[in-house]
Amino acid sequence: MITIVDAINAAQHKHLLGEMFKLRARVFADRLGWAVNVQNGMESDMFDKLDPAYAISTNDDGEVVGCMRLLQTTGPHMLSDIFACLLDDEPAIRSSRVWEATRFCVDTTRLSGTGTRNSISYVTSEVMIGSFEYAMEAGITDAVAVIDPVMDRVMRRSGNAPSDYLGSPKPMGKVTALAVLMDCSPERINRLRDFAGIRHDVFDRQSQMAD
Amino acid sequence: MDIIDLSTVERGEENYLGFIDQLCQKLELDYASYATTSPISGAVQGYANYPDAWKMHYMRRNLQRIDPTIHTAALSIAPVDWSRFERNEKFDAVFFAANDFGVCKQGITVPIRGPYGDRGMLSVTRDCSAEEWAMLKRKIMGDLQVAAVHLHDAVMQSDLISRVMRLPRMSAREKEVLQWSAAGKHQQDISDILMISPRTVEIHLRSAREKLGALTTAQAVGRAIGLGLIYPS
Repeated sequence: MITIVDAINAAQHKHLLGEMFKLRARVFADRLGWAVNVQNGMESDMFDKLDPAYAISTNDDGEVVGCMRLLQTTGPHMLSDIFACLLDDEPAIRSSRVWEATRFCVDTTRLSGTGTRNSISYVTSEVMIGSFEYAMEAGITDAVAVIDPVMDRVMRRSGNAPSDYLGSPKPMGKVTALAVLMDCSPERINRLRDFAGIRHDVFDRQSQMAD
Repeated sequence: MDIIDLSTVERGEENYLGFIDQLCQKLELDYASYATTSPISGAVQGYANYPDAWKMHYMRRNLQRIDPTIHTAALSIAPVDWSRFERNEKFDAVFFAANDFGVCKQGITVPIRGPYGDRGMLSVTRDCSAEEWAMLKRKIMGDLQVAAVHLHDAVMQSDLISRVMRLPRMSAREKEVLQWSAAGKHQQDISDILMISPRTVEIHLRSAREKLGALTTAQAVGRAIGLGLIYPS
C-alpha cells in the first residue's frame, strides 16, 4: 500500500518517515556504499529539508518496504544542484510539467526475489505506480530520475524501461549513477500493472487526507 | 494557451491582473489569485481578481497572515485541493464569510518553487458540483501548472537584479531543439534529425520555452535569437 507523505501531513506520519529514512540508510549506505549522510541509522540529505513528497510502500504488517522521493524541477533539486556531472555539466531540465524522482529503493532483506505481494518486483512496481499516478493527477507528464545500472536493468525487465537517457553514467562511490527520463502516462502505468498483476487502487486513501 | 505573454509586456500589477482574468476565462474558472511570500520578511505580495468587497474584507482582517491556501499549500509539491482543508480551523477562519461575498470554498492551489528557494501560489476557484469540479481539474491541471510557473517567474523577475540572476541557463540539447525550430522543423523532424524520441524533443522544447519565459515555441525562438543563444536561420 502506498502512502503519499508531504510536508503538510508529515507530522501525522512521523513513524513512517523515520522507518523510510532507516530503509534508505540500509540500502544506500550499507548495501550500495553511496557516500551519504547517516545519523542515528537514518539517511537524509539537504533535499529532504526542501519539503519533498515521498511515495512510501508498506507491507501488510505496516513495515516500510519501499520508497521514492519527488521534487519539482522548477525549484532546487538534485540534478540542478549537485548531480550536474550526470548531465555532462549541462544545465538541468526545468519544467512545470516535469518532476524529479530520487532515492528510489526497496527492502531486499524483507522482500523475496519472487512471489506476489512480498516480492521485490511487486513493491518496485507499486512504488512506481503510486508515484506516477500522484504525478499525473498533478498535471505532470514526465519525470527525471537518478538511478543505478542495476535499477535500469530491473526497470527494463518490468515493463518500466526509461523513455530516454540524459547525459552519461558516472561513478558514485561503489556504484554508477545515471539520469533517465520516464513518461508519467497511462501507458506506463498499465505496463507496470500488467507486469506486477496489480489491479487495485494502490493508495492508502484514509491517511492521505489526514492532515 | 492564448493569454498575455508576460515575457513580452511591461511587468506590472495591471498585466498580472490581466493574466489572471484571461486565465479564468480560458480555463472556465470563477476567480484566481497569485501570492508569493518574501523569503526575508515573510510579507505576502499578491494579485487577485476576487470581488473588491472580498478583497477589502480579506485585507482589513489581515487574513493573508493565516490563510492556509497560502502558507500550508506552499509545503506541497502537488496542487492542493481545498478539500484537504476541510477540518482546518484557519481555513474556516479565512473563508467562513466567503459565501456572502460570492466567493466559493471550492478551489485548488498550485504551489510553485523557484531556483532560489522562492515560492509562489496560484489559487483558483469554481462554483460547481463536485463531479464537474473533478472533471474540470483533470482537464486544466497541465495548463494550470504552466500558467503558475509563467506568472511566478514573471513576478520574480520584476526587478533588474533578479532578471540578471535568472538569465536562462540552457543546455546544449535545448539550444539544439530551438535552433532546429528556428529552421522550421517540427517535433517529428527534430526527433528524426537528433535521433531522440518526439517525447524527449517535447520535454526539451518545453523546458527551453519555460526557461525563456515564453508560452509558445515561436516566442522562445525569437527570444533565444535576441539573447544570442541560437542563430537566426
